[in-house]
Amino acid sequence: MKTKRNYWKAGICVKASMLIMGAGQLLLKQWVKGFLYLSVLAAYLCYAVTGGIKDAIGFFTLGTTKADPWLGIEGDDSVMMLLKGLLFFIITIIVIFIYVSNVKDAYDCWEKVKAGEKLPGFFKSVGKYMDKKFYVVALALPIVGVLIFNILPIVFMILISFTNYGGDIVPPELVDWVGIDNFIRILSLSEIKDTFFKILLWNLVWAFLATFINYFGGLLLALLLNKKCVKGKAFWRAFPILAYAVPGFITLLGFKFMFSYGGPVNYYITMNGGNAVGFLDIDAGLTAKIIGLLVNAWITIPTSMLLATGILSNMNTDLYEAASIDGASKWKQFIKITLPFVIFSTTPVLITNFIGNFNNFGVFYFLRGGLYNDGYFLASDTDLLINWLYNLSIDNNYYGIGAALSLIIFVITSIFSLFVYVQSAAYKKEDTFR
Amino acid sequence: MKKKRFRVKNVMDCVWTYGVLIGVCFVFFFPVLWLLLASFSQSGSIYDIEGFFPDKFSLASYSRLFTDTTMYDYPNWLKNTLFVAVLSSAIGTILVILTAYTISRFEFKSRKMLMKSALILNMFPSFMGMTAVYLIMVNFNLINQLWSLILIYAAGAPMGYLVQKGYFDTISTTIYEAARIDGAGNIRIFKDITLPLSKPIIVYTALTQFAWPWSDFILPNLLLKNKDLWTVAVGLTHLDETQFTRFAAGSVFIAVPIVTLYFILSKYLVAGVSAGAVKE
Repeated sequence: MKTKRNYWKAGICVKASMLIMGAGQLLLKQWVKGFLYLSVLAAYLCYAVTGGIKDAIGFFTLGTTKADPWLGIEGDDSVMMLLKGLLFFIITIIVIFIYVSNVKDAYDCWEKVKAGEKLPGFFKSVGKYMDKKFYVVALALPIVGVLIFNILPIVFMILISFTNYGGDIVPPELVDWVGIDNFIRILSLSEIKDTFFKILLWNLVWAFLATFINYFGGLLLALLLNKKCVKGKAFWRAFPILAYAVPGFITLLGFKFMFSYGGPVNYYITMNGGNAVGFLDIDAGLTAKIIGLLVNAWITIPTSMLLATGILSNMNTDLYEAASIDGASKWKQFIKITLPFVIFSTTPVLITNFIGNFNNFGVFYFLRGGLYNDGYFLASDTDLLINWLYNLSIDNNYYGIGAALSLIIFVITSIFSLFVYVQSAAYKKEDTFR
Repeated sequence: MKKKRFRVKNVMDCVWTYGVLIGVCFVFFFPVLWLLLASFSQSGSIYDIEGFFPDKFSLASYSRLFTDTTMYDYPNWLKNTLFVAVLSSAIGTILVILTAYTISRFEFKSRKMLMKSALILNMFPSFMGMTAVYLIMVNFNLINQLWSLILIYAAGAPMGYLVQKGYFDTISTTIYEAARIDGAGNIRIFKDITLPLSKPIIVYTALTQFAWPWSDFILPNLLLKNKDLWTVAVGLTHLDETQFTRFAAGSVFIAVPIVTLYFILSKYLVAGVSAGAVKE
């Protein structure tokens, strides 16, 4: 790397570039580059004057005139104003980046001229840039994609959670910033608060149970398949892989049919003189919960089996031989050797599985979607927070509260995620066990 | 004497191991078999099937699936699904390969930062921003467009670049250095050396990128309100008990390619599962 750029001692052309984008390049007779920079600046100023600044102000006011069809007043669309304002800020940030690059470029050119070098032409320098900074060119598209489709929605959602958007207040009604009202409502407004804490409790219970069953189910299955006496391992392994490969929504809908009124389970019950049971009905909380756990186990045990198989194949078998020579029983070997090894190597996975189960949308959406229990605010007793979020914001248009709820879920999961991160950092450092 | 008792114990051990294995495999296999046989049933409603398995078999459900399309237009769903899955797989693969290759090969200032932010972003379930995506799409009138689905799938793909990066990490650096000395630029190196060397990982990426939209339900259900644009996953959820065998046939038809694919890829699966474990 060169010595640090000292912009204040640089020539007039660098200062010109600081003032007007591209001016320095033009002074140095870098015509194409200069005009490109200049046109970016012109386009940006034009955008700011014709709409940008208005959008930025709109971002804060979220509209002042309400639409009135009787008087023929075309009102403000608050959500659109929020989005446009956001767009203006994003474009401004991008222009600032270009501005900085412009000043840097002017400085580099000036330095070259000062040293008596000839400046390369525009197309030549583009080619050179593409080669030297290949990673910038290659990563530009993926990063833009992630920014637009992953990060922008998250930012938008965070903003929405501080507005009263949703319910009756959707455009043409005016939306307003309300600070942390939505969070206060979730945590204190009687009906919503009760629902939130009831669902949170069940959600935690569900996540613990599901993770426990799936993790140890997969581990035991892998151990079973790993036994020396089992012949044709590929054949036996094919069955769980089959279950793993069937698309999740088909499995879930299939099980829903299996436990439905006309389904085979109820057929046998009625044939033996019983009454058809609504396993997944509105009043069937407990059976629905158990069925959910079992179906989820059916879907996810194969994954954890594959994972455990991979880890077990990395394991040093000498330990077992030493243990058998010392006369340790199979059970003792399992408790003292296998379990610590597997748990040690899979702690990060265990926690990500926990988060996955905590936010498991599919199971209860497919098995029992669209049911609302008494005593719950737009939710049923099997719904997880993520299902409640869906009910609130997609089915019932409570966008503000929904967004606040998703931020709360986000905080809960990020606490676990942070734990994973610290754990995996520790895991990378520690080779001691093996 | 002692040896013999040991052997008996071993046999017993083996017997219960096989017993449990058969039980487990039965549990995994039974629902699949149930759906498969139901799809060949003669009647259409779940009420007509006595017990788990039908007693008369025919291809009626399959032919109804493709001919009786006034209410449930399965061929059209299939067409939409295929369109979305193929295009998002193509675009997504390009983005993933570019990301993984660059992160694996180049040392640059923001590399660590990018990797860390990807790790953190990956830890949050993709459903989190879904409502916002929905609202943005509604406001910009991009709802009911198959293209918006494709863009979302493809743009999300680079987040799962870790498996591919792992592959690129294993390619020896000497070949690159040799090419550099011969005067090849980065673009040429990528085109003439990296791409031919990474065929297996490209195939793997393309297939996994295909499998995701092929079996996803949440996103199309959110963004496709127009019946003509439904994908298979959305369409199948609208079938009730009286259309059970149609559901079974439609499911089998869409599951067979995916299941076959998984079995072809099963040697990659373990690696994919453990590397993607940070994801989910």
